[in-house]
Amino acid sequence: MKYIKSIFPLVFAIVWTYALHNSWGTLPPLGKLMSPFHGFWVNAEAPESSELTEENLQIPGLEKTVTVVYDEMGIPHVFAENDHDLYVAQGYLTAKDRLWQMEFQTHFAGGRISEIVGEKGMVSDQFQRRMGAVYGAEKSFEGMKEDPKATETLQAYSDGVNAYIESLTERNYPLEYKLLNYAPEKWTPIKSALFLKNMSFVLASGTDDLKMTNILRKYGKEVAENLFPNYPFVESPIIPVGTPRDFKPVPIPESPSDFIGLGSAMKTPEKDPNIGSNNWAVSGNKTVSGLPILANDPHLTLSLPSIWYQMQLVAPGVNVYGSTMPGTPNVIVGFNKNVAWGVTNVGSDILDWYQVKFKDASKAEYWHDGKWKKTTLRIEKFNIKGKASFVDTIFFTHHGPVVYLSHEKPFKSNIPVGHALRWIAHEKSQELTTFYKLNRAANYADYAQALTYYSAPAQNFIFASNQGDIALWVNGKFPLKSYTQGKYLLDGTDPKADWQGYIPQSHNPHAKNPVRGFLSSANQSSVDPTYPYYMGWQYAPSERGRRINERLEAMSKITMDSLRGLQNDNFNIRARTLLPLLLAKLKSPAGGVYGQAVNELQRWNLQNAADSKGATIFENWVLLLHEAIWADDFSADENVPMNSPSMDRTIKMIQDEPQSAWWDNVKTKNKKESMEEIISGSFKASIDTLVKKHGPLGSEWVWYKHKQTGIRHLIPGMDALSRLNIPTGGGGTIVNATTMKTGPSWRMIVELSKEGRPKAHGVYPGGQSGNPGSTHYDDLIDTWAKGELRSLLYLEKPEDATGRLRKKIILSLKK
Amino acid sequence: MKKTLSFSYKLAIVLVMVVIGTISGLYLPWYALGILFALLAYILRIPTGSAFTLGLVSGFLLWAISAFWIDGQHPSSLPGRMAHLFPLGGSVVGLYIVTGVLGGLTGGLWAWAGAKLRFNK
Repeated sequence: MKYIKSIFPLVFAIVWTYALHNSWGTLPPLGKLMSPFHGFWVNAEAPESSELTEENLQIPGLEKTVTVVYDEMGIPHVFAENDHDLYVAQGYLTAKDRLWQMEFQTHFAGGRISEIVGEKGMVSDQFQRRMGAVYGAEKSFEGMKEDPKATETLQAYSDGVNAYIESLTERNYPLEYKLLNYAPEKWTPIKSALFLKNMSFVLASGTDDLKMTNILRKYGKEVAENLFPNYPFVESPIIPVGTPRDFKPVPIPESPSDFIGLGSAMKTPEKDPNIGSNNWAVSGNKTVSGLPILANDPHLTLSLPSIWYQMQLVAPGVNVYGSTMPGTPNVIVGFNKNVAWGVTNVGSDILDWYQVKFKDASKAEYWHDGKWKKTTLRIEKFNIKGKASFVDTIFFTHHGPVVYLSHEKPFKSNIPVGHALRWIAHEKSQELTTFYKLNRAANYADYAQALTYYSAPAQNFIFASNQGDIALWVNGKFPLKSYTQGKYLLDGTDPKADWQGYIPQSHNPHAKNPVRGFLSSANQSSVDPTYPYYMGWQYAPSERGRRINERLEAMSKITMDSLRGLQNDNFNIRARTLLPLLLAKLKSPAGGVYGQAVNELQRWNLQNAADSKGATIFENWVLLLHEAIWADDFSADENVPMNSPSMDRTIKMIQDEPQSAWWDNVKTKNKKESMEEIISGSFKASIDTLVKKHGPLGSEWVWYKHKQTGIRHLIPGMDALSRLNIPTGGGGTIVNATTMKTGPSWRMIVELSKEGRPKAHGVYPGGQSGNPGSTHYDDLIDTWAKGELRSLLYLEKPEDATGRLRKKIILSLKK
Repeated sequence: MKKTLSFSYKLAIVLVMVVIGTISGLYLPWYALGILFALLAYILRIPTGSAFTLGLVSGFLLWAISAFWIDGQHPSSLPGRMAHLFPLGGSVVGLYIVTGVLGGLTGGLWAWAGAKLRFNK
């Protein structure tokens, strides 16, 4: 008894310590995390002094010494004596600021989140792998290895990341490792491939084929084609109408036989892909300086740590500045002394689904071209934290992976079951070579040549050079299709439904130095209907593109600052057309809040400014109006997901089809609603919801409070590490495309110079450091929210005296 | 064996514990604090009646003061963020106290365990 009594406190202390050493559910390991010697306290970084400090670091793998100077934003300017050392340094320095993010994102891309968070990550992990994320990365890695320069770059970058990982002990792991209680693993070059492939997931995995087939089955071809036309009624395509073509088109493949697929699928949550981007270049005859100016703002889901990481990379043959993506070498969007470039996403249809006919339950064979063909299998192993590992088998036809078998529940409602996926992201590719060459491009020819290596995700590459050229290539690998092939689910047994090769790269839509003096893109239709190839039927709504083109058309004596104004343009071009139409039909209850709201709309200057109440009322009304018109017809059965017609089509109906049968709400029996009733009813409903949400019409109704833009940490629900309720204007169809969760993830404006250095301004909503304990974690957000930019420092040598340098690090070889 | 300790002796023990705890914190895993406190209680023959309190006070002072000191040396928004995460309504002082309590309970429990092993009654 005595013995037990004396041992009891020890047992108790051990249990206590064990409990505090491990994580329980979402509760982090409290002892480790709170210890002032080991936990989060260690991650606090004092603001740096305004004096230039110097540091020497030794890392393995360097051939020569590398000099790094950091400016006041924490942006490293890297001076190396050869390419190899440059990319070792890029890997090392990126990891130094962003290790956790790099690893987390590649874990996500590779379907390995359940290794960190346990079973709750499984569905997303399985979806990633079934979609062929790892398969695609392996294929693209093969492609990268065909270019020895890319291989060297990837390996050097990887060595740099690992040099940083090896320099860490547990106590100086980034904060998130401590919160989630795990350790970084060794970096490998294929992780960079995974990261690049994930960009296809982010930008080019949208698919409506299933929803369109469901519509086809319910309403027939005529209605489907009428409500979902293949070109917008109002458009301003990226390649200016009338641009001469410098190629002879190859023959278009024969259409597959008519096919109405099985459609269906089940109700599952789906992300709203409100992401797009803007870019433009204006030629010297429209600018004050007489040289081109280029602007780009890619819109992505806003997150912390920031998506982008700014760097200047200098070595013999290259001096490039811009935004890099943590996880891959080179600058992705940026400029050098001679050229500048930027990207926006191309919404072409590069993802198709083929209904598979298996021979039997073994799924060993499938029917194609009149015979049974063998499926191939791919085994994916999932290591789940706190659980036994799980082995999954993916069946492949020659098209690609069967993402979900007929009896399985899909992760997203737009993914059909029992279909094989044909996706450009599964192709061997060499994107890295494109960026390596763009970083070193000196003129238009270099740029055009660099683009020939690029496959996916397809981008509108805008370009300007100090020789005075501006250009835009809608670039990527595009399947050669018959007209509207792949708008609906395809027949996996019909060989004519297969992709029949690719549009030759030199035939990709492009324009150089157009008469109008500018080029732009905002994810709208790439080309007008006279372009000889079919690329897709549905692009982002035309509003941003039309507004940018109308402004650039009107602007002259352009400066960097006037283009900054355009990047922040809040004008609601949709409201210009739609609001008068709606107000003319509105029969609103007189007086009270409804009357006030009508007044507010009549007074509204059509700007989606942060403090606008009109914007809140209009946007909310349009949302409910669209729902009121279409939800009864297209969202009636949640097990049969369908698209709703676009706003472009809806506005056409308001203008020209007041008697259309679609105005009737089929859910109300014995009553046929008119257009006026739907418009007025949705107005009343929208005001009612606003009153319910914000109280009487007043200062709580202002647009930014309603919209609630937030920049969230990558760990869901981590509000303490996020910045919420940011006062910004804009909106999804506004040039300043800032929505609740998405927005300009990097704004850049570059003015090239003949002899001197290029002038550039830029900002992103975050900061250079991934450490929430650093002042550089979110120090650029306020500048971004105000619509301002920071001047970007382009150095020619590390000794350039600017007064803006804060820290110098000499990297030398660790013996 | 019943023994009361003089205040200055207690103070000396706390000092030793804080110094040992600091050194272990710098070089050893976080839980080494507990194991060393248990050893100290055992070697210094700290009576069972005082061991828990002395370990608690030492652990609390060590962790709370260290946290306070780090925050002074490296002022950042991180403690404020963590005080929202936990949730302490953003109170950094609350965070010092929670930190101190965790260090204190760890130190106290182990010191008690060490004393109990020595004085098996």
